[in-house]
Amino acid sequence: MRQGSGDRGPGSGERSEAHEPQLDDHEAAGEVVNRTRVGKEHWRSLDELADTPEFRTVVEKEFPGLAEELLSPQTRRAFLKVMGASLGVAGLAGCRWPKETILPFANRPEDRIPGVPQQYATAMELGGAAVGLLVTSYDGRPVKIEGNPLHPASRGAAGAFAQASLLELYDPDRSTHVVRRDGGQMFPASWDEFAAFAGPHFAALRAKKGAGLAVLSEDSSSPSLARLRSRFAEMFPEATWVSWEAIPRDDGRLAAARLFGEPLRPLLRFDRADVVLCLDADPIFDHPAAVAHARDFAARRRGEGGTMSRVYSTGAVMSLTAAAADHRLAVASSRVAGVAARVLVELEMLGVPAPAGREFAQLATAEPGEAAFAAAAAADLAAARGRGLVVAGPRQTAAHDIAAAINLALGNVGATVAYVRDGLPAPASASDGLDTFLAAVERGGVGTALVLGGNPAYAAVPSQRFLDRFARVPVRIHVSLFDDETSRASTWHLPRAHYLEAWGDVRSWDGTYSVQQPLIEALYGGRTPTEVVASLLGDANAAGYEVVRATFKGLGGPDGFEEAWRRTLNDGVLAGSAFPEVKTVVAQTGGVIAAAPAAGDGAATGLEAVFVADASVYDGRFANNAWLQEMPDPLTKITWDNAALLSPGTAAAVGVKHGDVVRVRRGDKAAEIAVYVMPGHADGTVVLPLGYGRTAAGRVGDGVGVDTYVLRAPGGLHFVGGVALEKTGRTHTLACTQDQQAIDRVGYEARGQRIAEIVREGTLAEFVADPEFVRKQDELPAMLPIFSSPQLTGEHQWAMSIDLAACIGCNACMIACQAENNIAVVGREQVIRGRVMHWIRVDRYFSGKPETPRVAFQPMACQQCENAPCEQVCPVAATMHSDEGLNEQVYNRCVGTRYCSNNCPYKVRRFNFFNYFKNVPQSEKMAFNPEVTVRGRGVMEKCSFCIQRIEAVKIAAKNDRRPIRDGEIVPACAQTCPAQAIVFGDIKDAASRVSRLRADHRSYSVLGELNTKPRTTYLAKLRNPSPKVEEG
Amino acid sequence: MSAAPHLPDNTIEAPGTRAPLILGDNDFASVTEKVCGIVERRQLPRAWYVVFAVSCSLTALLVAVVGYLFLAGIGVWGLNIPVGWGFDITTFVFWVGIGHAGTLISAILFLFRQKWRTGINRFAEAMTIFAVMCAGMFPAIHTGRPWFDYWLFPYPNQMYVWPNFRSPLLWDVFAVSTYFTVSLMFWYTGMIPDLATLRDRATTRVRKIAYGLLSLGWRGSGRHWHRYERVYLMLAALATPLVLSVHSVVSFDFAVAQLPGWHSTIFPPYFVAGAIFSGFAMVITLIVPVRSLFGLQEMITARHLDNMAKITLATGLMVAYSYGVEFFMAWYSGNPFERFALANRALGPYAWAFWIMMACNVAAPQAFWFKRVRTTPWMLVGVSILVNIGMWFERFVIIVSSLSRGYLPSSWGYYKPTWVELCTLAGSFGLFMTLFLLFLRFGPMMAMAEVKSVMPAAGLDRGPHHGHGQYWGEIPHQHDRQEGDARP
Repeated sequence: MRQGSGDRGPGSGERSEAHEPQLDDHEAAGEVVNRTRVGKEHWRSLDELADTPEFRTVVEKEFPGLAEELLSPQTRRAFLKVMGASLGVAGLAGCRWPKETILPFANRPEDRIPGVPQQYATAMELGGAAVGLLVTSYDGRPVKIEGNPLHPASRGAAGAFAQASLLELYDPDRSTHVVRRDGGQMFPASWDEFAAFAGPHFAALRAKKGAGLAVLSEDSSSPSLARLRSRFAEMFPEATWVSWEAIPRDDGRLAAARLFGEPLRPLLRFDRADVVLCLDADPIFDHPAAVAHARDFAARRRGEGGTMSRVYSTGAVMSLTAAAADHRLAVASSRVAGVAARVLVELEMLGVPAPAGREFAQLATAEPGEAAFAAAAAADLAAARGRGLVVAGPRQTAAHDIAAAINLALGNVGATVAYVRDGLPAPASASDGLDTFLAAVERGGVGTALVLGGNPAYAAVPSQRFLDRFARVPVRIHVSLFDDETSRASTWHLPRAHYLEAWGDVRSWDGTYSVQQPLIEALYGGRTPTEVVASLLGDANAAGYEVVRATFKGLGGPDGFEEAWRRTLNDGVLAGSAFPEVKTVVAQTGGVIAAAPAAGDGAATGLEAVFVADASVYDGRFANNAWLQEMPDPLTKITWDNAALLSPGTAAAVGVKHGDVVRVRRGDKAAEIAVYVMPGHADGTVVLPLGYGRTAAGRVGDGVGVDTYVLRAPGGLHFVGGVALEKTGRTHTLACTQDQQAIDRVGYEARGQRIAEIVREGTLAEFVADPEFVRKQDELPAMLPIFSSPQLTGEHQWAMSIDLAACIGCNACMIACQAENNIAVVGREQVIRGRVMHWIRVDRYFSGKPETPRVAFQPMACQQCENAPCEQVCPVAATMHSDEGLNEQVYNRCVGTRYCSNNCPYKVRRFNFFNYFKNVPQSEKMAFNPEVTVRGRGVMEKCSFCIQRIEAVKIAAKNDRRPIRDGEIVPACAQTCPAQAIVFGDIKDAASRVSRLRADHRSYSVLGELNTKPRTTYLAKLRNPSPKVEEG
Repeated sequence: MSAAPHLPDNTIEAPGTRAPLILGDNDFASVTEKVCGIVERRQLPRAWYVVFAVSCSLTALLVAVVGYLFLAGIGVWGLNIPVGWGFDITTFVFWVGIGHAGTLISAILFLFRQKWRTGINRFAEAMTIFAVMCAGMFPAIHTGRPWFDYWLFPYPNQMYVWPNFRSPLLWDVFAVSTYFTVSLMFWYTGMIPDLATLRDRATTRVRKIAYGLLSLGWRGSGRHWHRYERVYLMLAALATPLVLSVHSVVSFDFAVAQLPGWHSTIFPPYFVAGAIFSGFAMVITLIVPVRSLFGLQEMITARHLDNMAKITLATGLMVAYSYGVEFFMAWYSGNPFERFALANRALGPYAWAFWIMMACNVAAPQAFWFKRVRTTPWMLVGVSILVNIGMWFERFVIIVSSLSRGYLPSSWGYYKPTWVELCTLAGSFGLFMTLFLLFLRFGPMMAMAEVKSVMPAAGLDRGPHHGHGQYWGEIPHQHDRQEGDARP
């Protein structure tokens, strides 16, 4: 549990400056440390294994009292062999007890109780913005990542990437040592060897003032790296340093620079917005601050007090924001600016003055459907001055300018959108950052290239151009977690430390400062880019800990340094460190208008391709993360793959159907990829998720999906016209967790009829007029039970409520559950066979017309029915009811008839068709939650409401002789839900949140007529369409 | 395969006379000679060896694929979530159903004094035993952890855990094990006099010892016959309700579940009718080639076949009626889930299986309205094989199509069997045929004592026959004579 004292961080204890920071409390705490390769090593016979001196040493250390007895060869030899064998089965050579660094606890660190988990605050950075996290650590092993409640970008929630980064830490495919490549050959090397090379090399460069040195870094918010970068600039004034992201996030800053003359970062405040217009934007899912946005956004979607926000969304891509919108207009990406301009024109007609000097109006669309949409949005925006919010997405340029202009004109700036000065070099990450780097190479004279993270050899546009240029540089150094495509094109690969095993500092989207503290000794001896730069600068003390502390001193001033440091480590945030808000912004008259979209008219020049960040692998960096690969895309439900997403109209026009492999061609570039027909995308558009088709990702990610970066154009990173689809005549099976099979007419009709009953929804107007509308929806009379209900005599009665109005379908709960409950990853083939293991899934339903679908998400886990159909049919009583109303699965007792699953109306039970944990790499075994059984082959499993968390709190409350507080028990899914859609509690306590939610007007049970009496109830979804718009 | 042309047609119903059940120039001795001759001859027809070789190969395949299943896990089958049962339970129900004809013939027809049963009852009972063995295998191997199957039995244990008596799967265990036990006892008891005959005729030492042990010291004394008759009658009475109960209980696996397409009160009678339907079809399928192979046309006559075809037709009509009722009830209930489940059967992704089922189970047996079909062996076999295919698909349709599309459309799936399941299905036929062929080789495949009782020499024509073993002729009973006064 979270520690109350300030002394939470492993680095926050008493620390002498002479201490080698890498050898900190972890080793002192006798934690698992391994400098050798982690993995399965083989032994030939039990005798060999049991008689090694190492084994004896281990036994001596482990069982000092026993050792003498055990090691007397005459008497205990047999026992020793048996024991050796059992250790051998566990992989003796791989078990993480290092021979040289193990140290016993001489003094127990404060608050450290073996077996009691501790939480440490840290932060994960992605694309230059951090999310604050709390990481649960068991005996020195981080096992679970959650959001930090004190952190403004997280507020307790965490997205799928942050949570799944735990698996990345333990990824056995991470690079384990320094690699030197020369003439196509690869030589294992060490940091010492690199230092021996780099010392003189960089000294020589320094003598040349850095001429011939070029640095390409990822977007970074790290104040330490920024500090080092300025020192770097002093030391190597002639050097080039650019930052680059495959999926840049500087769109808002660039627009502000154009409009206001300063690269200000817009912060969006959805909690204050009554009307939201999203222009090809997905701020609640695909945004550096998405987790915080989702919370604010969802808070305004519940219809509390009879009000909720109204969301308009336009753009080519059916995103989660588009799915949540009340009005959606699917238009090609190149037409979004036109729609935005039309809104501006409509606003002008409503008396809202547009910024002077800009000729946005000339962009305005005249197409009737688009104009009607724009008029409706404008009317609502004009009526909600200061309470509206126009958001443009990262793929847009001119639309961004218009959005900023509308926000300014409507007085939204300072209210729903705040501009902050982030202090980063301007622009932080121009999309031509890579061009700058390559231009420097092209000019010649670059003798040393230092690539800090990133994978341009894979994701650059075009990557071949990068590779050609890059190869001309004699010394190419790449720091990365994996020996990836770029590493393989480099002369030096340096293993990067994962953020969970290194010191660092980061800022969140709003600027809040956090310290990253290591949860574990670096598994493979990696170093962070900050450390690498510090060492190249010749710092005597280049360790991350010292660098970060030195930066921190600069931030807070010398007074109370230690106290502030420890408080920051404890809280995970430095109070008051957010970027200062710029209160007034003034549109510059004149100035440049961003170029009108270059993609052109889709109809004339073929299709328009839109490149989107993938929900599972982002830009490809998470390709080797099996949790994320198996996490279904929120909308398509595709796992382990990407696909060309086409609207039904486009698919019909091209003459392809779901699963057909098409050749997507742009000029001489082509990719062959399977088609997924996705309702809601714009016609004439092919949406291509990035990040697949990796060739050097690792065992998990190699060869998964298709590389769509090849189709990106230097001038059209986000969307590009003139794309043609050609049929190949082949088909490809996409592994979907939902709708794996094409549906027939009878199924299609039945599904359509059922959705209304399963996912209840209504409009805000209906809800206000009749709050009971949900209960009045058709429901069949309940069936009579054939057996008596179980006795529910427990002191507590657990229940859950899921708000469908709030749920945005982001999958964070799925990863939370996977990490918490040791859920197996089964792989693509097994997903196709319908054997995915997720305990909680997010059902996605479409309704309405395929061109303009309405989307509803329904998280579905075990409903913990009081009259559980599964319990009645299990022949061996392996699934039973607890007196606290939990439907419990007894793995030990299960023989695996699967009858319970057959009889489960919700199909939430998951069966171990194989031993899915048979080949878990040694390192990944450390990711297991020790509180939860790892299930073997042949047993059924399912959601337990995180019974281990319930019991932990019950025990703690009992020890303290106090009642359990409402909200004290939080299952993993509810804990991480960015939208706070899931509430868990005790319905015996009438005042608990879950009791009140079950009594809410919107509350209903899914399939309640079966008389299963589910303990999970749902709150009906609400929409807030404009009464002025005829629903198409 | 056709009946020898010289035999008289005993399918004609002549008023006032009983059609003969044994044709040709047969007396007690020739019956014994013919039946025992099959067991005693050195060389069997070549067809037996060919079929036996194929069956043994399939059995070996079964052992191999089940071994693979145990080693690798149930995932080698095509099952998934939502379709947790596929070929395994389909084939289980199929084989249990096959077994029913044997018990019906030997027990119910015995109680109903259907004398024609004597020619085929031993054969059908043997089929029952082997079919139930094949059936029982599937629940045992279909579990995720078959090494814990014994937990399904209620035995006192140190865990203080009993099985869940609410679960129909548990009732299944009881029903099928009871059924197997009673059927085995019934079969064996009935076989004792014939085994004694084989013992008495045995010429080799091994046979003498083997049949001697099996015949339990039967000497054919009056007291033996008396005890035997009582036991046989009681076992028949015990087996009779099992005919109805076993498949009723099997149907509870589905009827008690709440899944649309399973949750139905018509299932018990519907399943029983279907079981008898498929069982008789299987008896016909097997007996026609066997009688022709071993020259038993005089004892298993056209009339026997005709009668079996009629029962098949009657039960087929019951099955067809049940199908109709299922659809009617789905519509009449007004329950959209039920309606969909049935519509989905006929029009959904498993429509192909449904229409195979309808063609084989409803359309094909209508051919039995024609006497020419009922008395032409190859036509009989053809229709019967279709019925067997149809009844397998009936279970497949009920289990798989219902499971594949349950309540939540998000969880709809599709099940395709793997090669392992196909091999297991084929292997179960191999096991069945292997056992069956071994029985033909080493056991009395016809109940000689019973057949003799329906021969004219037994004095059957002299009065109302009370069935089995009532010899009016040589050994008159005083008691029987009084009862039999109605004779002319």
